[in-house]
Amino acid sequence: MMNRNAMSGIGKPGEDDQRRILKARTVALAEELVEDGAEGDQLEIVEFLLADERYAIESAYIGEVYPLKDLTPLPCTPSFVLGVINVRGKLLSIIDLRIFFEIANKGLSDLNRVIVLQNGTMEFGILADAIIDARWIPRATLLPSLPTLTEIRAEYLMGVTHERLIVLDGSKILSDRNLVVHDEV
Amino acid sequence: MIDQDADFLKRLLVTFAGEAQEHLQGLCSGLLKLEKNEETPENRAKLVETIYREAHSLKGASRAVNQVEIEALCQSLEDIFAAFKKNALQSSAGLFDLLQEVVDFLGHVLTDVGTARTHEDKIRQRQLIKQLEEAVGTEPPQEATLVPPHPDPTIQRDTAAPRVTDSSIQKGTAPSVMPDTVRVSTARLTSVLLQTEEMLSAKLASSQRVLDMRSASAVFSTWNKEWARVQPLLHEIGPAIFPDGDRRQSPGSTDIKNALARVLDFMDWNSTFIKSLETRLKSEVMSAEQDDRIVGSMVNNLLSDMKKVLMFPFSSLLEILPKIVRDLSRENGKKIEMTICGGDIEIDRRILEEMKDPLVHLVRNCIDHGIESSLLRQEKGKPPCGTIRVAVSPLDDKVELTVTDDGGGISTEAVRTALLKLGTLSRATVAELGSNELLGHIFHSGITTSPIITEISGRGLGLAIVREKVENMGGTINVETALDSGTTFRMLLPLTVATLRGVLVRLGEQLFVLPAMHVVRVVRIKTEEVKTVENRETISIDGEVVSLTRLADVLELSSPRAKKNACNLQHLVILAAANLRIAFQVDEVLGELEVLQKGLGRQLSRVRNVAGATILGNGRVAPILNVTDLLKSAVKIATYSSGRNAETDRAEHEVRVSSVLVVEDSITTRTLLKNILESTGYNVVTAVDGMDACTKLEKGRFDIVISDVEMPRMNGFDLTARIRSDKNMSELPVVLVTALASREDRERGIDVGASAYIVKGNFDQSNLLEVIKSLI
Repeated sequence: MMNRNAMSGIGKPGEDDQRRILKARTVALAEELVEDGAEGDQLEIVEFLLADERYAIESAYIGEVYPLKDLTPLPCTPSFVLGVINVRGKLLSIIDLRIFFEIANKGLSDLNRVIVLQNGTMEFGILADAIIDARWIPRATLLPSLPTLTEIRAEYLMGVTHERLIVLDGSKILSDRNLVVHDEV
Repeated sequence: MIDQDADFLKRLLVTFAGEAQEHLQGLCSGLLKLEKNEETPENRAKLVETIYREAHSLKGASRAVNQVEIEALCQSLEDIFAAFKKNALQSSAGLFDLLQEVVDFLGHVLTDVGTARTHEDKIRQRQLIKQLEEAVGTEPPQEATLVPPHPDPTIQRDTAAPRVTDSSIQKGTAPSVMPDTVRVSTARLTSVLLQTEEMLSAKLASSQRVLDMRSASAVFSTWNKEWARVQPLLHEIGPAIFPDGDRRQSPGSTDIKNALARVLDFMDWNSTFIKSLETRLKSEVMSAEQDDRIVGSMVNNLLSDMKKVLMFPFSSLLEILPKIVRDLSRENGKKIEMTICGGDIEIDRRILEEMKDPLVHLVRNCIDHGIESSLLRQEKGKPPCGTIRVAVSPLDDKVELTVTDDGGGISTEAVRTALLKLGTLSRATVAELGSNELLGHIFHSGITTSPIITEISGRGLGLAIVREKVENMGGTINVETALDSGTTFRMLLPLTVATLRGVLVRLGEQLFVLPAMHVVRVVRIKTEEVKTVENRETISIDGEVVSLTRLADVLELSSPRAKKNACNLQHLVILAAANLRIAFQVDEVLGELEVLQKGLGRQLSRVRNVAGATILGNGRVAPILNVTDLLKSAVKIATYSSGRNAETDRAEHEVRVSSVLVVEDSITTRTLLKNILESTGYNVVTAVDGMDACTKLEKGRFDIVISDVEMPRMNGFDLTARIRSDKNMSELPVVLVTALASREDRERGIDVGASAYIVKGNFDQSNLLEVIKSLI
């Protein structure tokens, strides 16, 4: 480090200047960190639209969002498995959460987006009509769901915000054995 | 710095563990040979020398990484072998047991080398050393170590390293000479192989591009034909209007004449332009073809060389077996000989790794179920010592691995009883099964013929797992048995994994790949050739009667259209696996191709009838089917499908089916609508936007159009307007299905002439169907 600084030091800003600039940067970086720490109990979520309802999932479980094209249906799979898509040479299975959650099929929707859910051991895509936003919400604003508010069973819910945004529990969904297909003839 | 050291030590220990495992394996197999005591005295001396060196090298290596415990044990081992060398020690069964015990212990210690030993381990180690010392007896241990053949253990290690691949390297060659083999971690090699395999998709894509370009250039022939028709007219027009042959603008000519002159000039220019475009595209196609050939052969060579890099001799897998046989036969009180042949045949390392568990399981099975006790054997008039023979032999481009025992064989009646006990098949069905079919069932989970469940086997899971593993690699397994004379498990394995040849077939609009290894034949037959025997459809192929089924039925795809298309000729693919052979009817056989099998992802751990999927040259994904599953599914549905045929036949004779054009840019909505309409009995064609719909409307006749409103290129309003303005289609009903619920949008829909307007938010299947019914 020092060596390289000394060499580039030929092009003016004196060593003191450099040190001052670096110091200022350090302070700036450090401040941001402190800020984050202060509002520690924040939840980063991705909000999306599914059949006219607004849902969200903690972004820690979201690998990427991918446009849906060329879905290949697979025979002999449960109805919630819509098929597989090719993501850069790898296959990813696509799930329709509405069917899995047994939400009554209200209207048609344009499921044009794939949200890739993943943790260390499981990975699949879920369909959404549109991605609305990625943002932080304070964890404290999450309320336990009212049974009348949504048809999704409480075990898959993390909570509901004041603005009636349904936050799904990504880790529960990812570790649900019912989602894994293992069928013998 | 400290971290770096720790890191270095860690890496060193990993290297050490790998090397130590080799020495240990050498020790183990040497000891087994020695115990058999079949060698000539000369060979025996050589063998002892080898074992001695293995122990010595291991000792040196442990010292280098500061593994004092291992070093101490090896020291004691070395003492014993030194005594052997001088013939100062009488070999006895007890001694070999002790030595094997030491080897086992070393193996145990080596599995978690680098971590602290437990107290029990330490005590056990001290005991073992003491026992070893006692075994050497009067020989003072010091004396033996006075003559180590290699004073410098580090040199010994360097030359020992490449032993796996090249045993001919002479010890004592100058250490400065570079060895002709290198060690590369398998993880790194595998990663390179995977990347190389991905090159296959580049190759496939390139061939696809060439095909696309060729069909694009073929379009010019249409143009040429049309142009040839018009060109003479131009020649007539020109002189007629410009009698002096001069088209140039002259002050006397009218505006229209000037314009015409320019148009004619443009037509001339245009034809040369198109012709040059044609020539250019043709030459581009040619260079693309050449590139494709070059890329193709480069990728093929690279892939086959890369696969060779990962080839390993079978012996690396087989050498673990003698020890297992020795230990287990002792435990079971049986006398068993083991012979191995063909260990030098090479196969993909990944297959070897995958085959380890199945092979060990089969050998355990032989010991536990197959071979009888000496007493029983003698009663049957067989030699008291049983034999297990593991043989590897090349067979075309595959490898055959057989595990044979000369034991009691599998009683098919016992399988029948076990099947009944399992209760998945009816009593009548089980009673009908022939002995071949019964044997096929031993690979199903839950079937065990063993009356007792032991620690080793008897739970009826093992063979199912063996089959699964073998088939996952694209192999097959079958069994031959004769009561009282033995059983042979025969496995046919591919030499390399991952790429397989497949037959591409079409069902409706979906494509599927059938592994070519299971495809016996592809035939086209006339419908009259199908004969119904005992309510099952069958065909006769080369004099053999084969039962016939529809692939779509087996895959649970209800496709009424597929059956309608089945005109006079039927396309059949005959599949075979595990003693079964069935003909599957498909809509079309598109050809044979090389595919790279990919897993379906973690969520789809196992799908019935589907083994995986592949990405075709055009980027489409096609499922690869699991033939063994297909055959089983086919047998299952055959039991209740026979009555259904008559019904579907009647449905086929319905009058003309109405056809619907679905225009929708969202793939899910499109598929959903298509499914709803098809299951109601409509003929459905889909289009992705207004433009696409216009093209399809020109080509085909439709009774109704169902369209989304918001679409790229041309939206639903514009499409409706375009349909209304066309005099051929002005009466065609158009239903708009849209997310736009506002009054203005609805009014606009009515303005452009839509026949119905359905808002997606209120979408209801029966509503849509009623609307369609009322409009057609």
